Order: sequence, then structure tokens, then C-alpha cells
Amino acid sequence: MENVGALAIILAFCFSVYAILASVVGKWKANPFLLLSAERAVYCNFLLLTAASGILVYALIAGDFRLAYVAQHSNRSMPTAYKFASWWGGQAGSLLLWAWLLSLYSAIITFQNRRKFRDMMPWTVAILMFVQGFFNLLIAFIASPFDILVQGRGIIDVGDGQGLNPLLQYWTMVIHPPILYLGYVGFTVPFAFAMASLISKQKGEEWIHTTRRWSVVTWFFQSTGILLGAGWAYAVLGWGGYWGWDPVENASLLPWLTSTAFLHSVIMQEKKGMMKIWNMVLVASTFFLCIFGTTLTRTGLVSSVHAFAQSPIGVYFFTFLGLGIAGTIYLILDRLEYLKTETKLESVVSRESTFLFNNLILVASCFSILWGTLFPVISEAVTGEKISVDAPFFNKVNVPIGLSLLFLTGVGPLIAWRRSSVESLKRAFFWPTVGALVLTLVLIFAGIRHFYALMSFALCLFVTWTILGEFYKGSVAIRAKTGQNLLAAAVELTHRNTRRYGGYLVHIGIVIMFIGFTGKAFDKDTTVEVGVGEKFRLGGYEMQVRELVDGDNENYSWRHAKVDVFQNGKLVRTMEPERRGYKASRQPTSEVDIWRRLNEDVYVNFAGSGVGSNKAVIQAYIFPLVSWIWVGFWVLLIGTVVCLIPSKVKLQYARTQVVGVASKQYVEVPK
Amino acid sequence: MLKFPNRLVLALALAAICLPQSSTKLVTPEIRRVGDKLACKCGACNNTVATCSMLECHYSLPAREKIDEMQKAGSADQTIIDTFVKESGLSALATPPAEGFFLLGWLMPFIAISLGLVSVAIWFKRFAKGTPATQAPVPEIDRRYLDRMNKELQDLE
Repeated sequence: MENVGALAIILAFCFSVYAILASVVGKWKANPFLLLSAERAVYCNFLLLTAASGILVYALIAGDFRLAYVAQHSNRSMPTAYKFASWWGGQAGSLLLWAWLLSLYSAIITFQNRRKFRDMMPWTVAILMFVQGFFNLLIAFIASPFDILVQGRGIIDVGDGQGLNPLLQYWTMVIHPPILYLGYVGFTVPFAFAMASLISKQKGEEWIHTTRRWSVVTWFFQSTGILLGAGWAYAVLGWGGYWGWDPVENASLLPWLTSTAFLHSVIMQEKKGMMKIWNMVLVASTFFLCIFGTTLTRTGLVSSVHAFAQSPIGVYFFTFLGLGIAGTIYLILDRLEYLKTETKLESVVSRESTFLFNNLILVASCFSILWGTLFPVISEAVTGEKISVDAPFFNKVNVPIGLSLLFLTGVGPLIAWRRSSVESLKRAFFWPTVGALVLTLVLIFAGIRHFYALMSFALCLFVTWTILGEFYKGSVAIRAKTGQNLLAAAVELTHRNTRRYGGYLVHIGIVIMFIGFTGKAFDKDTTVEVGVGEKFRLGGYEMQVRELVDGDNENYSWRHAKVDVFQNGKLVRTMEPERRGYKASRQPTSEVDIWRRLNEDVYVNFAGSGVGSNKAVIQAYIFPLVSWIWVGFWVLLIGTVVCLIPSKVKLQYARTQVVGVASKQYVEVPK
Repeated sequence: MLKFPNRLVLALALAAICLPQSSTKLVTPEIRRVGDKLACKCGACNNTVATCSMLECHYSLPAREKIDEMQKAGSADQTIIDTFVKESGLSALATPPAEGFFLLGWLMPFIAISLGLVSVAIWFKRFAKGTPATQAPVPEIDRRYLDRMNKELQDLE
């Protein structure tokens, strides 16, 4: 079986190389048969990689411990879901997942556009297959998931494997990596279209129209992947944090930031024909940051708890990045003629400006995180001295940047396209500003002195007010016209322009998440070693370890603490954190218990027992408002889905080639 | 398959390996004050000596104890930090020192934002000057939609 899997990957590599050659030569010689064969090679590539993935998954689930990958990442006692998750638990398997997802995306894109964009598609296929070829090369020759364990000339079956890292044996870890990869890999598609439009010298925005929805979906996957990772860190790692500014965490945030900037600036290109070069830069940066993130995880460039074992794979990634970035810069510089701005800016006080500032802040945030992540490496190269850049650095730099972004989220919707008068600004900003100031005063009187927390809460109110105000005004107008109730009118309003109002919902989601982030300023924690029956206090709670219970199953042994939580002398909750010891890996883990509420989470970690004593080491935390992060994510999810629903009324923006904004055309979409 | 007593013995043996922990050095506000400025160099987290929550952390626990001892001996915060730096180099600090080349680490994000602002200003200057925006010719077919849009906008007002 393993030979079939390895052969499938080698054949997939051959097909990806063939697809590149057939696309380029077919386009050059205007040979439709070659172009068609290139597209078919894309489908074959997908089928072959599906077969290889299927064989690996089968080996993991069936427990074929002759395969080195299976022996390292699976074992007999793991539940089937985690055996399946072992597919991406190691270097070679996760590269196979990358390659398989890209082959799936490539096949979908090729099929969807088999009769469209005939100028652009051969180049799109060639670029997709160039990236595909690189990953196929890695899994075929550098990090094969089908390597066999051998001793001398004989194949060994080790009988059982080491199993998946116990920390990864958690439900979000079954879906977090593939969802994050759906995001990472998905950004290849807009990049391929963008580059294809440059190569084929397209003047219009076809590549943007084609990939807009794709970009939104990919962005959504990236957001979900990041949030699932944060949720996993919060619930599994036992320290109560959801973001540790680890290099690999940062690597997932970087393309998210540039893609968010892209999703905003692309509106400028669609509506105003502006920022065309910038959009090319953003879409390319996003793609290369995705590759860079993958590189960071696999090369040991920076130390990270998330990284795979160090391997010589880095040189291939850096070569690919170098070639790709050089080629992209050359293409953009060579095609500047086709990327000219079509319109002029009429006023600094306009929606266009807010988009610019929004992009500036997002890219600045991306740069500062990238800089902080790489600064230890740069510093060591320049001064020979290794330094640490830990969470305090990132917090100090990024908190003000994040608050500026939050401010712009509120300002943007209130400023009109083209220009805004002072009068209209006053009208739009007066009440939200008053509301924010009043809230700040109330919070100060309530005893809150944390400067950033005050600013954040005030801005959250300001932004919520402006966005809900937009919904309210529109809904009232529709209610007056149709007689619907306000909720139905709000739904109707959203349906008329799903992209705009879905975007507002996403903004509300971000605001809610900021409320959750701000709660971090008020965390409380304690670590105590207590015997059964002893009490300790944290904030307004008193806690008592009632009993410790031991047990085991095939996969792990465990000790379970029952901790009663009292508030004002009344028992309000019994929490049951657990300490596990995994048998195969002999690795201990903590299963924390979290009492989740909107105002605050009570988080209890049973961190172990003292040697020779029946005491429990308990880490207890109070995390105010942290649940708002997860609620905000659901709102963001709903907003993104709304963005993807076609609008009832389509707005098309005609433009002149030189100056000015033309009319909007309203087109009723038949029901 | 192992029989029940054997399984129990195995479970207890594994528990003996996995569960016992030495008691944790608690983080007092004094330790936190200094520990927040020192990086935890365990290699598994990006936290500070004060915020690392790994119970068996081979770095943060001895570091906290050392801070505690030095504080009890009357050492000033900066003296304690300097001792760590002397022993482990600048990587003992949670953030780069704001001096020499390392100052660049702090300044670069703000330099980048400033350069970005300058670029935006240049962009404004370049694309805002020249002829004022003119209304593009509106195709005849769009007239009725334009009228309808104006009417709807009036309704919104």
C-alpha cells in the first residue's frame, strides 16, 4: 500500500509539472488541446493526492506501524478521531494535507472557470500548479509520509506507535489545523488570479470580481482557524491564555492582517479604480506570508512550542520564497502601466481616506508583529547577542495600534464616499462621542484606572453606536416605506446590500472580541497547594478541594479533583479539573475546568499533587469578559456568511477612465 | 490484554511518573514586579518568569526562588535584573533593552507607521491634486435607476 501512496505522490508531482508546461506552451502556441490537457492534469493531480491521503489515513487508523510516520504519530489506544487527526500531526503528513487541499482548490477553480477567462486561466493554472509542484516535490522526495522503518535490509513493524502528542488530543485540535490550512492554502487562489491577470496584461478588475468571494471564504477559514487555536490554548494548555505571541501563532496572524487589509482596499479598486498596485502587493504579501508561516513552523528559524522537528526542509522553502517574491516584484514593476489609478481623490475627509488609514494600520500591525518575531534572529545576526522578544513587547506595540484600528472601524461607516462636510461629520459623530465620554466617566467613577482598558471600552461603545446607528437609520426608512416591523426591516436592509451590512456585522463581531480582549487587564490568579477540605480565596470566591479520585483507561491514567466554589458562603459550583498521564508518551497533561459566564470565567487547573502528599496544587484564575471573544467570533461568522449571500439589489459602479465617479446602477435581481 | 490487578499496578506506576509535582513557588506581588521583566527561557512558552504557569518549569521556578532570595537579602530590582543578565545574557530580559542596536527593535514599528503616514500624505497629494473630479457621463439607460436611487436616498433622509 505504501508503495502505491508514494507512487501516487510522485505521479502527482509529474502531473503538476506537466500542467505548468502544457499551460504555458499551450497559451504561447495557442493550442487548445494542450490547454485542455493541462486542466485535466490538474484533476489527475487531485485524484492522485486524494489516493495518497486516503492510504495514509487508512494506515493511521488501521495501525500499520511499519510506516515511520504512523509509528511516530499514532497508536492503538487513541480514539479514531485522533488517529485521523494524526494525518496533520507531523511534518510529512501536514505537508501532504497542504498539497491535498491545494489540489482540491485547484480542481475546483479549474472546473468552475473551464469556460471563463480564457486569457487568464492558463496562467492561473500554471501558477497554482507551480505552488502545487513545490509541495509535491517536498512530499515526494524530501519528507515522505510513506517512509518505512527498516533495520538492515528488513522492514520492522514496531507493534504500536508513540501516539499523537497528548496536548493535541482535544476536539478543537481535530479541526483547528485543517481549517487554518484551508485559510493558508486558500490564499494561493487570489494570488494565482492576480499574477495571471498581470501576466496576461488584464486591464480590468476581473481577477478581483472572480476571487472576491473566494477571498472572503478563505479569510473566514483563517479567522476560524486562529480562533480555534486560541480556544484550544485557553482550554488545554492550562495557563488560561488564548494568545501567547508565539512565533507560530504570529505567523498565522500575519496573513490574516494583510488579507483583512486586502478585503478593504479591494473595495477601493472596485468602486474607484484606485489602489491597484497596492492590492497586488497585498494579495502577494498574504500569499507569501502564508508560505512564510509554514516555513517558520518547519525550519526552526525561531524557537516555538508549535514547531515541527527541525529538518533540512528550510532551504527548499527559502528558495521557493526567494524565487516567488523576486518573480512577483518583477511582474508588478513590469506591468505598472496596467495598474494605473483611474480616479482622483476629492477630499481627505472621505471614506476613501479611512480605507487608506485602515490599510496603513493593518499593515503596520502586521509589520510590527513580523518585526518582533524576527528581531531575535536579526539581532543575533547583527550583534551576535541573542535576545528575547516576548509577550510584553508585542502587547506594548500592538495595543495602541489595535485601538487605532478599532477607532477607524467606527469612523469609516460614518464618512461619505468622495467627501464629507463638517456639518455631516458633526451630525454623525456627536452622539457616539458623547456616549463614549460618558461611559469613560462612569468607568472612572466605578474605579477603573487602566488607561487602555478605558479607551478600549469607550471605543467599543463608539463603534457599536455608529454601526447600530447605520442599521437603525436604514431600517427605519424601510419600515416607513414597507410597514414592516423594525427587525424585518433590518433583515430587508441587510438583504439589499449584504456585502455592506454583513461587513458591519463582522465589525460588530470584532468590537465584541475587543471587549473580551480588554478583560485581560483585570485578570486575577492564584496558585496554592491545598489538602482535601482546605479552603483558599480568589477574588469574590472561596474554593475548597472536596476530594481527589484516581482512575485509568487504555489511553491514559488520571487523577480528578473536585473543587467546590463558594460565593458569599453559598456553594455555587463544583469544578472538576483533571490531571492525566498518557501511557504511550508518558506525558502529563491538564484538563482544566472552566465555568464560563459573560461577566467572567472561573478557570481551575489541577496542576498535580505534591510528592508523597495528598495535597493538590491548584491554579485558579478569574478571567473577566473572556467569553466575549468567543461570542464575537460567532457574530463575525454570521457577518461573513451574510457577506457571501448575494444581495437583493446589486450595485454596479461605472467609472470613467480618467477622473470622477460615475453613477451607481441599481439592478433588481429577480427573486 | 493485561488482567485487572496488573493494569492497576501499571496505572499507579504511570501515575507515579506523571502526576507527582513539587510544590510551586507562589508568585508574590514583589516577585511578579521583577519577574515580569525577565523572560522565561524554558523554550515552551513566550511568557515572563512571573507569568509562566508550567508547574515543573525548569527555568521560571528557580528564577522565582532566586528573585525571592535576593529580595530578602535586600537587593534592588535593577540589581536582580542585572544579575540575571550577567548570567544569561540579554536574552534574560523579556523585551529588548532600549539602547544601542536593540533600540531599533522598539522604534522600527513606529518608524514604519510614520513612513506609512508620509506615504499616505504623498498619495493624497498626488491623487488629490489636478483637475477636480467630474461627473462621468451617465448612460441613458441608467437614468431611471438614477432617479429611483435619488428617490430612495431621499426616503432614507
